[in-house]
Order: sequence, then C-alpha cells, then structure tokens
Amino acid sequence: MIKKILFAIFILFGWNSFSASAQENLVPKDSIEFWNFVNLQSSIPGLGYSWSIKGEIKQNQLDSLQSFAFTKTDSGYFSKVFENFDQITSQRAEIEKDSLESGLTFFVFTSPATLSATQEYVANLIRNGDFQPIFEERDAYEDLVALAQKAPYSPLLKFKLLFISDFKLFIVTAVIVFFFVVSIGMIIFMIFLKLKKSKRESLLQDYENRIVDPLTSLLFEKEMEEIQDMTVSDFYEYFPKEHLGNPVFKEVLIDNIIGLNKKMKGEFKEKLKMIYQKLGLDSFSLEMLESPKWHKVTEALVQINEMDLIEALPRVEKHTNSENFHIRSQAVATLLNLSEKVDLTFLRDQTFPLSEWQQMNYLRIIKFVNNFKPLKIEVLFQSKNPTIRIFGIRLVRMLGRVDLIGHLSEVSKSASDEEHMEILETFDTLGAHMEIHFINECLDSENEKVAFYAAKAAASLGDSTTVEIIYKRLGDKSHSFKLKKQLLRALYSLDKSRFDQVTLGKVDPVIVQLRAHILDPMLSYV
Amino acid sequence: MKKILIIEDDRLISSLVQFRLKKDGYETLLVQDGNEGVKAIDSWMPDLIITDVMMPFKSGIEIIHHAKKHHPDTPIIVLSALGEEEQVVLEAFNLGVADFIPKPFNPNELAIRVKRVLK
Repeated sequence: MIKKILFAIFILFGWNSFSASAQENLVPKDSIEFWNFVNLQSSIPGLGYSWSIKGEIKQNQLDSLQSFAFTKTDSGYFSKVFENFDQITSQRAEIEKDSLESGLTFFVFTSPATLSATQEYVANLIRNGDFQPIFEERDAYEDLVALAQKAPYSPLLKFKLLFISDFKLFIVTAVIVFFFVVSIGMIIFMIFLKLKKSKRESLLQDYENRIVDPLTSLLFEKEMEEIQDMTVSDFYEYFPKEHLGNPVFKEVLIDNIIGLNKKMKGEFKEKLKMIYQKLGLDSFSLEMLESPKWHKVTEALVQINEMDLIEALPRVEKHTNSENFHIRSQAVATLLNLSEKVDLTFLRDQTFPLSEWQQMNYLRIIKFVNNFKPLKIEVLFQSKNPTIRIFGIRLVRMLGRVDLIGHLSEVSKSASDEEHMEILETFDTLGAHMEIHFINECLDSENEKVAFYAAKAAASLGDSTTVEIIYKRLGDKSHSFKLKKQLLRALYSLDKSRFDQVTLGKVDPVIVQLRAHILDPMLSYV
Repeated sequence: MKKILIIEDDRLISSLVQFRLKKDGYETLLVQDGNEGVKAIDSWMPDLIITDVMMPFKSGIEIIHHAKKHHPDTPIIVLSALGEEEQVVLEAFNLGVADFIPKPFNPNELAIRVKRVLK
C-alpha cells in the first residue's frame, strides 16, 4: 500500500519535473546558440522575427531595404514580421553593409517578446508536443553536453532501479514498512492471544459450571464412609470420564477443591481431601512437583499442603533449599505444617537468608503447630546461616520457650552483636533473671545498640552490679541520647536514689531534660 | 416458605449454602455482586439476607446500610473471610446484623444459625 502511495507521489512530482527540465534543456539558453537553433527550424508556430534599426535611415538606404518594408516608429524603424527565420537572415548583409545599428526582435504571435520569453515560449511548444525541433547533425568530436541536448529525453534508469538506487529513500521506506509490518504483526499477535485467552476462560468457566453442582451434591449427599468406599468409576456419575482425563478439567477441579477447602471446616474439609485422593488428583500434584516451571512447583506445594499429602513430604523436602524464593518458602511452610518430625533440620540447613516475610510466614505456622508438637527450635541455633539463628532466637521469644534459655546462654558465647541484641530482648521478654551476668557484660559493650538492649533488659532484670555498671557508664558523656535515656531509665527502675544522685543538681541540660521526661508519668512509655 | 437472599461472589460457596438451605426447605435466591444484591433486596423482599463483605461493585457493609435503611426488619447474617478484621465485624454489628460467621465455616453450622435467626 505504502509503496503504491510513494510511487504515485513520485510520478506526480518527480517524473514531471525530470521530464520538464529535460525538455527545457532542448532550447539553448545562450542567445547565439538560440539563434542557431531558430535558424535550423524552418518556422516555429506563432513565432515571428523583425529587424529594428535605431536612428535615421537615408532614403536610398530605405529603398535598398525595400523587401523588409521598414516602418518608422518613435523608437526607430521596424521591418515587417517574418515567419521564416531564413527570410530575415538572407538579407542581413544588406543592413550590415550600410553600417546601420540594427537588432532582431522576436514576436510571439503579434506581440514583441524578449529573448527569455521567446525561449520559454519555444520550450512550452516542445513540452506540449506542439513543435518538434530539428537538431543539427554534429560530428562526434562535439562535446557531450551538446550531444546530450540532441537526444530526446528518456529516463536513464527504470523506476524500480532508481528507487532502490536512492538509498536514503529506500532506507526511510524500509523503516516505515518495517514499522507497519511489526505493528500489524503485534496487533495480530495480541488479537490471537486475546482470543486464545478468552477461549480458555470460557472453557474454564464451562468446566467450573460442570464442577459446582456435582461437588456440592457429593459433599452433602455422601457421608465420609460412603466417599471412602467409592471407586473411580463411581465418581464418573458426577464427573464424566472424558473430563477427568482432561488436564485442564483436572486443574479447574483442583482449584475448586483447594478454594473450598480453605473456606470450609469440619467434616466438609475431610470429605474434600478424600475426594481429592479418590480422584487421583494427588498424583497430578506430585507430577507437577517435578515441573521445570517454578510456579507449577509452587502450586503443587500449595496443593500438597492444603490436601495434607503426607506421603509427598520426602519430595517436598528436596525443595527446601531451592534457589527460587517462592518454592523454598512454600516447601518449608508445607513441611512445617505437615511433618510429623519435631526437629527443624530442614530449616537449619537452609543456605539462603530468611527474609522478614518468610520469618513472619513460618512463625504463623510454627505458632499453630507448636500447640500440638513442641518443635526442636534449638536445632536452629546450630545453623551456619545467621538469619536462621536469629529466627531461632526470635521463635524462643515469640513462643515463650523458657526451657530454651539455657541453650540461648550457650549460644550467646559465640554470637554476633545482632544475635546478642535478639538474645537480650528474649531474656527481657522471658524474664531470665539467671542471665544477669550476660546482661551486665553487654551493658559494657562498645556497640551502643547492644548496650541499649542490655539497658532495656537491665531495667527489669538488673541487680546491684548492674547499677554500678550503669552509674559508671553514665560518666562517659560521649554516649548517644538514646542510650543515655535508656541507661537513666534502667537506673531509675533499679535504684531511685542513685538516679537522683546522677540527675539532680546537674548543669547538663540533656540530663535535666531526661530526668523530667522519665519522671513524667504521661511520658513513661515514650 | 421463608425466602433467603444469598449475596456471595464465590460461585462454589454460594452454591453450597444454597444447597444446604434448600435442603431445610427455604426458598433461596443467589446473586453474585453488590449491585444485584441491592436490587434483589428491594424487588424480592427476602426474609433473611446472607451476605459476604468483599464483593464487586458494592461491599457487604454498603448492602447492610441499604437494607437497614429501607428494610430495617430484615435480619442479616454476614458470611466473610474477614473474621480477623475486628473493625469490619464491629461495623457490621453496629449496623445491626443478626450474626457474623467467619470463613472457614461449616454449612451445617450456618443452617443452625439461620434457623435461630428466623425464629
């Protein structure tokens, strides 16, 4: 299409202008050349020639030039108008003999015309095809330009070749054509995808409609024992055999069963699990577990988790250290939820750092599971992964596992500052008075954050040694405001007289403000 | 026969609830979005409304507002997964709903609560 448009534009402007300029070139621009050109033509339609003589002409001269039939005008003498150029040049010698100041005037029809107007008129005649010029036969030695002028115009290159030879035009056209082809291709692709998607959606909707009623009937009409005794062929009454063999139908059925399982409780949940297994959908989930696509594996893990497929746990465990965040998160969640084991070695051996989101997710499951089986959280302290160790410490705190304080005490000996902070917070939460030595040690820490958490724990767990350490530490004025505040708060809670001793009568405005802040009951939690 | 309007966008849940209530001899009408729910309340005049909270076009709270304004005597049971969202539960009770059943739920338990509310 675009090629046709370009072709038309080219024909309209390009062709005409090439053709016109070529034909104009047939008429010489130079006056002498033009004279020669006119001389070669016997006559040119509408074009006339007249001699003009300036100044006075004597009677005898006028008589000798009788054939010119000169007439006198204000600007001189003008001969009659000749149509044939030969006629006017044949007697030129007569005029030149008398040394008269003469000139040739062109007439286009009856009006005198300048040289350029005459040339343009002749060019128009040629262009319109009203006049076919005659050219002098020249010898080969004459210059090429003159030879070229003789040749009637014909395009040197055919259109197609010219078009390709003009590389700029070709590139621009190619880019535009490419753009259009790609756009059209993309539109077609999008339409194709849209159609495919809508076709799939309508198929899924159709399958869902075929699933809702039979599943509802099964759940209400059949007791748990009855479902347990059903064979696959019994299920064909509810779900036709050809549908159950269809993987898309199976996917829709699984989605519906999983979705319903999340929203149901009681015997309905158990019935759904039984239906799932009886229909062989568990093997479908297990197959998906081996899929190379991460979302399929994650989906399979969710299905295993929801449908309590305990037999799949050894295969789930393989995914706990997967490179994919979603797979390993879901695999650990599934194991935490379903595993009968109480040790958390699968979590201990994770090499990837645990994100806050993962910790929150696992904590939610562990909190629930811990009610039925006390998990061996201490296993996590042996992990080489610091985020797992920190998660283990947090679990002790969140689950209130006072029995693990001794383990934490052991861990604290070789722990990092970050772990120290978590341990201190855990000791504080669990009220671990027996760990006051560790708290006092941390109060002296060079790391202000560790000292801060130690001061926090010391406020409720501290002893007389703690008071002395705090008192000594407050003597150092280089501490941050945050640490100073916490140290003073701890001192206030442990020994009010030492607190007064430190804060009363001080010129340091920060200490004065902190004292006012701590003593203000309205600000006690700020 | 008592008429119960079920407003729930989950096709399977609504179908289960409908099946269970029909079994108890109630006449039921199922709608799947908030706008349809409001229309059905005005035109069908149910004896009880069971509604979800999160729905397309109009939320369950908006439906309760509408029902309490135009049909103050019609009892409403809220069936929602937002059981832990204290604010939604409180708002629903403040608007005067008869009961709130959090998901996951047992359809048999729902049937008992419906029976009690309609008494």
